[in-house]
Amino acid sequence: MVEKVLAQNRRHRVAVAWAHDPGTVRAIHMAVHKGFAEAILIGKSSDIIRICKSENLDERLFSVVDTENETIASREAVRMARNGDADIVMKGLVGTDKFLKAVMDKENGLMLPDALLSYVGAIELPTYHKLLFLTDPAVIPFPDLDQKIAMANYAIEMANRFGINRPKIALIGASEKMNKHFENSVDYAIMCKMAERGQIKSCIMDGPLDIFLACDKDSIEIKGVPTPVKGDADILLFPSLESSNPFYKGLMLFAKGELAGLIRGTEKPVVLMSRSESERSKYFCIALSCLMA
Amino acid sequence: MVLKNLNDLRRLVEGGPRKKLALAAAQDQHSLGAVVKAWKENIIEPVLIGDESGIQAICASYNYDITSLRIIHEPDIEKSVETAVRLVSSREADILMKGKIGSSTLLRCVLNKEWGLRTGNLLSHFALFEVETYHKVIAVTDVAMNIAPNLKDKIAIVNNSVACLIRLGYEMPKVAVLGAVEMVNENMGATLDAALLSKMNQRDQIKNCIIDGPLAFDNAVSLESSRQKGIKSEVAGDTDLLLMPDIEVGNVLYKSLVFFAKAKVASIILGALVPIVLTSRSDSEQAKFDSILLAAASIK
Repeated sequence: MVEKVLAQNRRHRVAVAWAHDPGTVRAIHMAVHKGFAEAILIGKSSDIIRICKSENLDERLFSVVDTENETIASREAVRMARNGDADIVMKGLVGTDKFLKAVMDKENGLMLPDALLSYVGAIELPTYHKLLFLTDPAVIPFPDLDQKIAMANYAIEMANRFGINRPKIALIGASEKMNKHFENSVDYAIMCKMAERGQIKSCIMDGPLDIFLACDKDSIEIKGVPTPVKGDADILLFPSLESSNPFYKGLMLFAKGELAGLIRGTEKPVVLMSRSESERSKYFCIALSCLMA
Repeated sequence: MVLKNLNDLRRLVEGGPRKKLALAAAQDQHSLGAVVKAWKENIIEPVLIGDESGIQAICASYNYDITSLRIIHEPDIEKSVETAVRLVSSREADILMKGKIGSSTLLRCVLNKEWGLRTGNLLSHFALFEVETYHKVIAVTDVAMNIAPNLKDKIAIVNNSVACLIRLGYEMPKVAVLGAVEMVNENMGATLDAALLSKMNQRDQIKNCIIDGPLAFDNAVSLESSRQKGIKSEVAGDTDLLLMPDIEVGNVLYKSLVFFAKAKVASIILGALVPIVLTSRSDSEQAKFDSILLAAASIK
């Protein structure tokens, strides 16, 4: 992915809202050093400079914009993206709610008209043969049918940018059977038919499917379920935030996964990560946002 | 084994003993005439239950020779239905047919909890059409019984119909779930049900058939039409069973086929212990005969 970004031959300007944590600063520094980003660190300049010094980073590599608090920093980052002074907005040490409030502001925010705000992530796993995209572990708690369709389209679009023309998208549940106790299986059946009829394009879609049928080729043979995804999923779509979030965190904790992700539905890419993510993950997020910009 | 026309059903009744048909409230020329004809053509063996003198009078004036037929005398209409139903549940008859009695009264007896013909399944109407402009017979359900079936009802209706088609010799009948359009539209319940039924079929939760939908009527019966729309479907153009979204469109289709396309049709009720023939006075002689033929052919 980083190669693809470097091939673009551009430096994307990343505005970081409340750049007060060392991990984020180090990650953005890596991107600047690698040559595909410029950084605008927004926050209390004295604190930011102090962090740079203690991390042994040259603060002159960054532009620093002094702001008093997290809310103002978020609004400033968004404002810069709106008027073209930045290409990408990144969340620093500010709460997701505060940050997204600035992004979603009706007058001064970054939302595309009528677009859904949603998050797509890409996980690199030593135990899976390719990059695994998932949605939505960060923004939408209980997506309804229309939201699930929007999520699917965002994820397909992201996979396309990575060069995957017809990504296999698995609609995840606890089983592959239709079940009246699991309303999501109803949404999934509808989406599959829409994909069959070309109403959701450029993908091979199936669901409900459990994780094994989605990602494990042996399971397909054992269970004998005919599915075009065949244990070779590119994208996993989850029925809720409470299922997708623990899933990716479990992968990071137990399977040494690295996650990069992006907010979709905005005019400019928005990078959103949690404090507990590794620096490498943060670096990949920045690279991903540059790819999608 | 493809049934090209309704006459092909005769192949299924040849060889082996004739199935027994119990005609309830048999003092009725319309049903009696059809039963006698089917008997003479070796399709079924009738048992006539009803007012004996009434039965004999009709047969005399219409010249039906019923000398060797079994008649069970029961002048009371409702009791004659009970007798007919009990005959079936005690395995002395294989088909139940309606004579001089309203459909709802007959069905009430069929659904009797003590001595009726309940199986726990939903009852549904099954019609088999022979249309000159289609390459084989085509089944349509449910055009007369279930008014506004929900998803659960549709599953039952499909299962009833597919089981019947299997008994008629089909291996993997193709089922088209009809809608006004072939795309899924969240405002059109029929298209949503179609998506759910398709997925259940793909997951082998509805078995022994291939289900696709939503399909508009032209997509279902015309391969050319489905190709023009760019529809990829195993069912389009080669449908064996049309699942109607509700009774209104079903009934209109049924009657359009009969009046405008001059189609021949056979109808039975499925879901009870045995097939039930519920022909009415407005049905043609041919339709009554073919319904009896279908009932007999559909029993294994």
